[in-house]
Amino acid sequence: MRRLQKIEASFADIVSKYLYVSSNDSITIKQINTTLKDVGIKPRNKNNIQYLIHLMIRTQRTILGGHFNKLQQLYAQIPPYGVSIGKINSRNWYRKARGIREIYEMNQAQYFDEIFKLINHKNIYVRREAQIAMVVFSGWESLRFLPYLKKNMTLWQQIKIVEKLFDLHPKPKIKWLHRAYETDKLFGKKLLMRIIRKYELHGETGYILDHLNHEDYEVRETAIYCVQSFGLSSRSVNYIKELYDDIPDATQQGQLLDYIFENSEMDVDFYLRQLYSDNDELKLNIAEILWNNGYKEKVQEFYYEQYSKATVNAG
Amino acid sequence: MLDSLESFFGNYYVYWTVNYFFLIYGIMLMTIYFSGVVLANRAIRRTKKKSTFLQVQDIVSATDIPSVTLVAPAYNEGMTIIENVKSLLSIQYPYYEFILVNDGSKDDSLEKLIKEFDLEQHDASFITQPIPTASVKSIYKSKNKKYTHLTVIDKNNGGRADALNTGINFADTELVICTDADCIIEQDALLKMVRPYLEEDEEEIIACGGGIGIANDSIVHNGVLKELKLPENLVPMVQVVEYIRAFLLGRMAWGEINGLMLVSGAFGMYPRKRVMEVGGFDSKTVGEDLELCIRLRIHMENLKKPYKVVYLPETLCWTEGPPDYDILIKQRDRWARGLWETMSLHRKLFFNPRYRHMGMLYYPYWLFFEFGAPLVEFLGMIVIILFGIFGWINWPFSLLLFFLVYLVGCLFSTAAIFMYVKNFDHYTKPKQIVELLLAAYLEPFLYHPVLVYGQMKGYYKKLFRIKSGWGAMTRKGFKVSDS
Repeated sequence: MRRLQKIEASFADIVSKYLYVSSNDSITIKQINTTLKDVGIKPRNKNNIQYLIHLMIRTQRTILGGHFNKLQQLYAQIPPYGVSIGKINSRNWYRKARGIREIYEMNQAQYFDEIFKLINHKNIYVRREAQIAMVVFSGWESLRFLPYLKKNMTLWQQIKIVEKLFDLHPKPKIKWLHRAYETDKLFGKKLLMRIIRKYELHGETGYILDHLNHEDYEVRETAIYCVQSFGLSSRSVNYIKELYDDIPDATQQGQLLDYIFENSEMDVDFYLRQLYSDNDELKLNIAEILWNNGYKEKVQEFYYEQYSKATVNAG
Repeated sequence: MLDSLESFFGNYYVYWTVNYFFLIYGIMLMTIYFSGVVLANRAIRRTKKKSTFLQVQDIVSATDIPSVTLVAPAYNEGMTIIENVKSLLSIQYPYYEFILVNDGSKDDSLEKLIKEFDLEQHDASFITQPIPTASVKSIYKSKNKKYTHLTVIDKNNGGRADALNTGINFADTELVICTDADCIIEQDALLKMVRPYLEEDEEEIIACGGGIGIANDSIVHNGVLKELKLPENLVPMVQVVEYIRAFLLGRMAWGEINGLMLVSGAFGMYPRKRVMEVGGFDSKTVGEDLELCIRLRIHMENLKKPYKVVYLPETLCWTEGPPDYDILIKQRDRWARGLWETMSLHRKLFFNPRYRHMGMLYYPYWLFFEFGAPLVEFLGMIVIILFGIFGWINWPFSLLLFFLVYLVGCLFSTAAIFMYVKNFDHYTKPKQIVELLLAAYLEPFLYHPVLVYGQMKGYYKKLFRIKSGWGAMTRKGFKVSDS
């Protein structure tokens, strides 16, 4: 326990001296390595090295901007003696995935090729960490690997990739996005829509709109979710109205109906068309919109008409 | 009477069939429990490993996570309703809606809610009811910005399942979580519950349950469990052990082989889309949680889509268990009737290969060992009494066998307690562990026979079609701390 505390104190001292350097208190890499060796960071002390890795990752998570880059430079020059890359070769999925995480958290890009081989690994955690590593190392360019991914990407995988991309590469590179549009993978489409949403790429909303009536439920769900963060032009909203009838799920139609109502002028003809259509599930919602926006008589007219159509089975 | 019974059981074939039936049944049950320990241990370790790659703090900061609505029905809970709602409102989740369904309460619950949360009445004329329920009278939303995520639906009484369906109808989020208004939910429970949905791969998650714990005599402050204490009375104390064993060894183990047929009504999360597709909870049964889970599974089997029902080992929801034998009997009577109704409703599953594992393994297990166990125990007692009267029992051997079975039972309980204590930090003091072990060792004598009685009472009511509803569940309420 005392040994670990000593490592922590020494590491904190090294980081502060390295980051907040003054002319009379500077520290060289050689001195850093000697200090670490003195507190027990040696190849045979695996626990100590693991603890140093833990400290390195924890420290990096709390630092931003120029200091973050400087810290990355430091990490490239001090030991964890290839412990993390050793884990990648393990047969145990947990060790493998942790190894990949440590490598990308410490930005050890020299292991790119080893990690790249694992992007289609049979274990979901291994391939997820490998894919995140690609994003960390290659940024927007990593989108070019999208068509080569063979296995499904979970929602968390998509979220994590988007978050990492946004944190580390906040400036969008549309070229790579356009190339990735060619993907026919459903998870790829969902990922790209989430990226467009996260970066608020108004110029790319067409890609989302094109997927509003996609045959797959989840792709449509993602498209509806993403489009809700954008305020669109009346032309785009009209396009959504055209697609509206092609959406086979009433709940999703309801979500889109709310979006149309909140983002466009009152289009009585559109709502009346829906009211008189065969889609019964949303008629109450449509009636409510018309009722609350000054068209009570239209709703009453519709319901009176329903009564007149009804046949009475008496006798 | 006795003579005719003696001649019946005295028949060579009948005598040995009865003997072997109980022996084989017992061995099978022990084997299942033992497999449960192995599978649960594996599941807990795996869950822990997985959670290092998806930590709660990562979920909090993520922007694209699914939205969740918590639906809680309330009926005549005016005494504690404000505390309960405050507790449920304080749950941490970035995209969270809370719908409280006032199921035709006759007390002043609604008035209290209106006053405390500054509720404003909204028009309910246009509310859509894809799942038919008792009529909705009004919808209330808070004028206070602090409570924008609260909706109160006031409806006519229709029972728990009906109230849950009303909330599910009104919800517009991807996931719905069903609970009871008087449950105390851990602050980060939703962040943990949503994890399996985020990690959903080829198999769709159709239901997710979290561990439920007994918190009688624990201290609550501002709707949050401030100090978890072990109950002072034996009945709830044994329930602590019973819940730990059932959730850890039972549900975790079945979850490991995707054999879960039940997600507890007190705390279960479902994708709203799937619940709507199957028409929500069945308000005709008192075992609506089990019934929904089975119906969801059948639905997915019919759609031929891969699916999963998952369980999280950690206790995320705390409830007050029956404080005495009377209420315990009422509760188990109701559970037994719910089980009877559900088993009978889905009898087509029995060894039906069309439903694969569910038909060939999980349903038969439930029928033989969940539904059948109280019957077998009850019959066992009758047989012991009769054989004792006829002088056919080898008492020294029987006592030895009884002692052995008791020891094995204690072993399973001990394993469950130690697995829980090792993995979760709810009961860490040595005194608490000793008390839990003691309760586990007393359970077979002071608790289990009452349980069997309650279950048999429920079966009796079903057999002779005696009408019975939920039964009043009087509760003491948690200890509320002001400081």
